[in-house]
Amino acid sequence: MRVERLIGGAMIALALASTSVLAETPKNTLVVADAIDDIITLDPGEVSEVGGVLAANQIYQPLVSVTPDDSSKIIGVLAETWTASEDGKTYTFKMRPGLKFASGNPVTAKDAEYSLRRVVAMKSRSAFILTQFGFSPENVEERIRAADDMTLVIEIGDTYAPSFLYYCLSSYVGGIVDSKLVQAHEVNGDFGNAWLKAENSAGSGPYVLTRWESKQSIMLTRNPNYTGESGGLERIFLQHIPESAAQRLLLEKGDIDIANKLGPDDFGALEGNPDVGFVEGVSGTIYYMGLNVRHEYLARPKVVEALKYLVDYQGIADTISRGTMEVHQTLVPKGFLGAIDYKPYKLDIEKARALLGEAGVSGEFTLDSVVWNTPPYTDFAQAIQATMAQAGVKLNLEVVDGQQWLERYRSASLDIWFGLWGPDYPDPHSNGKAFAVNQKDAPDGSTGLADRFGWDAGKLSQDAMAAVREQDTDKRRAMYEALQKTHTDISPFLYMFQQVRKVGVKSSVKGLVLGQTFSDDRYWNVSK
Amino acid sequence: MPAVLFQRVLGFTGRIVTLFLTVGITLLGLVALTFCIGRLVPIDPVLSVVGQKASEEVYQRVFLEMGLDKPLWQQFLLYAGKLVQGDFGTSFVTNRPVLSDLAGFFPATLELATLGLLIGTLVGVPAGVAAAYWHGRWPDYLIRFIGLIGYSVPIFWLGLVGLFIFYSRLDWVSGPGQIDVFFQGIVTPVTGALLIDSLIAGEGEVFGNALSHIVLPAALLGYYSLAYISRMTRSMMLDQLSREYVLTARLKGATEYRAVMLHALRNAAIPLVTVIALSYGGLLEGSVLVETVFAWPGIGNYIASSLFRADINAVLGGTVLVGAVFILLNMVSDVVYQMLDPRSNLRRR
Repeated sequence: MRVERLIGGAMIALALASTSVLAETPKNTLVVADAIDDIITLDPGEVSEVGGVLAANQIYQPLVSVTPDDSSKIIGVLAETWTASEDGKTYTFKMRPGLKFASGNPVTAKDAEYSLRRVVAMKSRSAFILTQFGFSPENVEERIRAADDMTLVIEIGDTYAPSFLYYCLSSYVGGIVDSKLVQAHEVNGDFGNAWLKAENSAGSGPYVLTRWESKQSIMLTRNPNYTGESGGLERIFLQHIPESAAQRLLLEKGDIDIANKLGPDDFGALEGNPDVGFVEGVSGTIYYMGLNVRHEYLARPKVVEALKYLVDYQGIADTISRGTMEVHQTLVPKGFLGAIDYKPYKLDIEKARALLGEAGVSGEFTLDSVVWNTPPYTDFAQAIQATMAQAGVKLNLEVVDGQQWLERYRSASLDIWFGLWGPDYPDPHSNGKAFAVNQKDAPDGSTGLADRFGWDAGKLSQDAMAAVREQDTDKRRAMYEALQKTHTDISPFLYMFQQVRKVGVKSSVKGLVLGQTFSDDRYWNVSK
Repeated sequence: MPAVLFQRVLGFTGRIVTLFLTVGITLLGLVALTFCIGRLVPIDPVLSVVGQKASEEVYQRVFLEMGLDKPLWQQFLLYAGKLVQGDFGTSFVTNRPVLSDLAGFFPATLELATLGLLIGTLVGVPAGVAAAYWHGRWPDYLIRFIGLIGYSVPIFWLGLVGLFIFYSRLDWVSGPGQIDVFFQGIVTPVTGALLIDSLIAGEGEVFGNALSHIVLPAALLGYYSLAYISRMTRSMMLDQLSREYVLTARLKGATEYRAVMLHALRNAAIPLVTVIALSYGGLLEGSVLVETVFAWPGIGNYIASSLFRADINAVLGGTVLVGAVFILLNMVSDVVYQMLDPRSNLRRR
């Protein structure tokens, strides 16, 4: 008995001793805290959850990408040169010679051909980014083809602004896989999907996947065959720490290097701490309210306009978001081509009342509003509820779980949806398509947000399609500028805020680059 | 004698058969109920796979892949049929068979819950006895007050405060997570429980680190169950202490220790077994809040996050596991009953 007690005591002493000695993260490992329990796949052809995209982005490389601080500049990654034909329908990519996958296989145009074809053929959930160019499982073999080992030819069905295709290829579905390796693991024509979902990777990027414990952690290790720029660390360890306050404590103690999920409260608490710094970046994510115009009152343009005057935009940005959101009232996010500083609305109860009167609405009325049960939605929804009530508009806030929130939006069984839109690629069409293009004008016949909320965008829908087809960048910019103003004025979308990315880092951490789309954080030059 | 022996064997087999039938029916009912709830909640499992932006065509493909086009009863029969063969299906989030998921996540909870229950019982029972013994005096008030806090203050808040004090400020324990990044992947899992595996592997440092990670959440769960156990002990002891046999024992000159600890506690212990077993069951379900705050890869978080993504196979597997745990604990507490109370054995015979 006594001996056991002694052992027990010694163990506890050892435990305590070990913590005080090891209050640092390993020198060669970047420890990142994030909420990653939702990741269902790391296959670049179908990856979609934020954490999954983040990990896949370190493993796989696209043909082309953008420079992080200026998204108008396209840079080659696996491709060395890229050219568009006169009619804008045929694109030729020359591969960069001498590149290798982590397996040692050379990176060729055949791999690019295989990777892009498989996204379309798998009918993956992310395939919409590519299929909007007219690819289908039937025609993709003809339209995406390797002319030789170093030349990839892509033919698209229609004429688009060339940068639009480049941007789409730079997004997460554009990640090129090692076709030899993946093909060797194909089962029942699944394009190696099952294999890539199970702790395997086949990329050419700076890191390879070494361990993935679902809902717990992801371990990435440096790719020995990677020859690109890299001052990064040997390993990246992505740990599931869902609670913002827990992330903060870990960061303060130095047990993690990067805290990706800090809330506004924790930023306040960390300010002034010399051991902790912040990396900020512009995110393309927009917070908005979608108004279902199938509703009797919301069908009246004056009512829609009135609601736009019933949000205390600046107040919410100042008090609730505390630097994590800024007021933004147009469909193109700041930092994208064609973005403008147009903020016509501010809180004006009198004006809203007058507009409601003009619309023939008298007395109170109730709107069923669906809110996701996570911050910041819950906070700003309540603030908006309060200001709307002052003009007799009662918001019935239904605070629901994320999946239910999506389901309600999909079935359009609501009056107002508190939504967010994160662009998948840094081209204004990601948003233009979503908010302004109706199904009848979409070349792939897909529905967008406008259809979901029962809104016929009329000429704006055609304008948005014309803008993405414009070959001249300056003209294209002007088209988006014009289109946005009208859209903000008349659409049933109440744009409110643009997210400001803010990540807490240990002050020794250098070289972290945050992307503009949610998928583009770059860890491969991080040192500490 | 052979007739008696035969009767006994028959009785024994009969009991086993009844037991299996009861367990089977209970589990089946549980699965059926969970299945219905899982299908009736307004969460679209397809949407949780494909997300907001996927096209209608992709939605349809996944809808068919998941077999959702079949009527509900057919889906259930398919599921139940596989279940009987020991196939719990695959979780679409982790892409692994639900069984291996459970085998991965449950040990972490088992470790935490067992340690928590140990703390809760070893502190809670004596505290309850003391509160009953000094009934109405300051130790009673103190113990009840401490218990009340443990029971009524939200446990995630206690968790954060505990982390702030003992991890952040005092540096006595390690922070959230099961183990430091340094020690990730050193020990090969045998039982899945890190404390035991590290001992098997003879990795003292890993054990120490894992211990320093588990101490705080286990103490918290211990505190939480302590609050319940001590209150129940107190009321049962109060009941026993007022009985005549205790008075008799005292009159016959038994020491206070003997009267309280041997006579009264022995009798109070019988219902207490159920209380402790139920507490254990509650802890083994996994405390979602504690697991979230401490980033603990346990079964509570697993089931909760699966539920939020309508990952029905995972939810059902988790439910069956928790149900089985409860049934097992009930059986164990029955056995302990019989050991503590000879009469319950006599009646059976």
